[in-house]
Amino acid sequence: MTQTLEESLFQRKQTAFLLSPDKALAEMLQKLWSPDVLEFRVFENGGGAIEKMFNEPPDLLVVDNRLTDIAGREVANLVKSENVYRQLPVVMCVDPIDVETPWNWNKIEVDDFLVRPFNPSEVRDRVNLTLCRAMRALDANPLSKLPGNTSIIQKIQSLIDSDEDFALAYCDLDFFKSYNDKYGFSRGDEILMMSARLIVNTIRSYPGVLSFVGHVGGDDFVFILPPDKVEEACQRIIQSFDDIVPHFYDPADRKRGNITSVDREGNTKIFPLMAVSIAVVVNTEARIKHYGEVSSIAMGLKKKAKEDPKSSYVIDRRKG
Amino acid sequence: MEPDLKTSVKGEILAVKDLPTLPHVLDEVTKLIENPETSSEAIAKVISTDQVLSAKVLKMVNSPIYGFPGRISSIQHALVLLGFNVIRGIIISTSVFDMMVQSMKGLWEHSLGCATACNIIARRAGFEDPEEYAVAGLLHDLGKVVTAVQLPDLHKTISDTVVAKNIPYYYAEKDVLGFGHDRINAWLARHWGLPPNIREAMARHHSPQLAEFYKPMSCVVHIGDFLVRLFEFGNGGDDHTAYLRPEALMELKFKMSDLDKVMDEMSDQLLEVSDLTL
Repeated sequence: MTQTLEESLFQRKQTAFLLSPDKALAEMLQKLWSPDVLEFRVFENGGGAIEKMFNEPPDLLVVDNRLTDIAGREVANLVKSENVYRQLPVVMCVDPIDVETPWNWNKIEVDDFLVRPFNPSEVRDRVNLTLCRAMRALDANPLSKLPGNTSIIQKIQSLIDSDEDFALAYCDLDFFKSYNDKYGFSRGDEILMMSARLIVNTIRSYPGVLSFVGHVGGDDFVFILPPDKVEEACQRIIQSFDDIVPHFYDPADRKRGNITSVDREGNTKIFPLMAVSIAVVVNTEARIKHYGEVSSIAMGLKKKAKEDPKSSYVIDRRKG
Repeated sequence: MEPDLKTSVKGEILAVKDLPTLPHVLDEVTKLIENPETSSEAIAKVISTDQVLSAKVLKMVNSPIYGFPGRISSIQHALVLLGFNVIRGIIISTSVFDMMVQSMKGLWEHSLGCATACNIIARRAGFEDPEEYAVAGLLHDLGKVVTAVQLPDLHKTISDTVVAKNIPYYYAEKDVLGFGHDRINAWLARHWGLPPNIREAMARHHSPQLAEFYKPMSCVVHIGDFLVRLFEFGNGGDDHTAYLRPEALMELKFKMSDLDKVMDEMSDQLLEVSDLTL
């Protein structure tokens, strides 16, 4: 396998542990990927691997049911029982006789399994898929399922590296906390789900161009569009949000146009209906070199956008 | 009448898997959605003339999967939150009535006319979001559509009873089934998670005085239904005039002069709207 890292499915080199006495399996796995893409470290028994795994977890664990010193399933469960290691994907290798009776996958938490005799093409793709799936699941926001911070940073950095013009918008919801405090977290979640849908559909309505939507967490969203589309997108998002959000308030609050809630110090305060603030950083002529610059420019813009209690957007158009 | 007819009818009704619609609307929406330049406003406008597509859209956007059940009563808002992909999916999976069910055309016009009337009435009464009243008006006879699709024999018996006994469709329903489409509406609206205001208006449009939480909307649909029958726009299943409850007019603080003005506006708007229907 002579594929380079750039050509592969992964953003950086992946490491894997193989726990197996089967030399043929080790040889096959090491041949399927260039060591620059996915490098296997082979252990012939389980015991030797465990401490190393805990100290420097690999990106993938392939464990053979043929292990003699410790049962493969025990290794898998060791890994999955700790929240720190839980997201490490585990693939179990078995012999056909092993799976004649059904396994209790609720008790043995692996992410995939491979049955002998191994078909190298199948093994290659199943392992690739397991790695990709693990990255997706790890980074998705638990509420909206949109990509999270890791994906966002990777996306921005890859756009910078490829010298592509882009506009990056940070959206957040003003007075979201007061809504949560008054109406509770369940209704707060409704607002976030609605906002996620609203932003995604607006961005997706620009077909055939660079686009991306991420959910950093809580009420913070991020989207990317070409610089010539971003202003209109902001206006449309604001219009839709302002139109829809009143329906999420109780009729009396909606009529008044505000809610009465308690602020951080415990004082009763009146808060307006929620609004959306958008801060847009535009990168043209490759003036920005690193993700860190983007976020620091955005923070300054955001302050300005939030000065207005109504929904608003601020676009930074400074040139190099 | 079998003793457990109500249970079996309810079971059948709620088991509805596929609600078809009329060809002309489906064609128009399909054309619009295939054009990447189309705005969601344009699509909303066409979907708002069709009770089946509107019901499907509202059912989907109010599903717990989206995360905000019962909040969305407007087709326009629903489209913004569903997005083009999902809407395309709904349209692709919607079939059309076969030519046999011609009476459906009359019902479609009647529902569209009622939606138009409700919009006008709600605005005259000074209510916010008149489009949501229009949606309730559009869906007020959905129970009849579902019965026709799921229980064609019973539907035929009801229609025959209308002719034979010369009674309104609603009474023929009560005669044959023991209950009316307003009860069926209530089942459907609850099963589909439609927002509570629309649900109550659908269930109470024949007896708006019994509405508890959303009396104004129930009264508006009641009056809208009455007026569109007066205009003989479309066909609600019979050619009788409905009974107009005085409580409905009182709830909206309407005088006869208000009704007159509504009817004037309706004449104009129904003319425009009839261009949309074949």
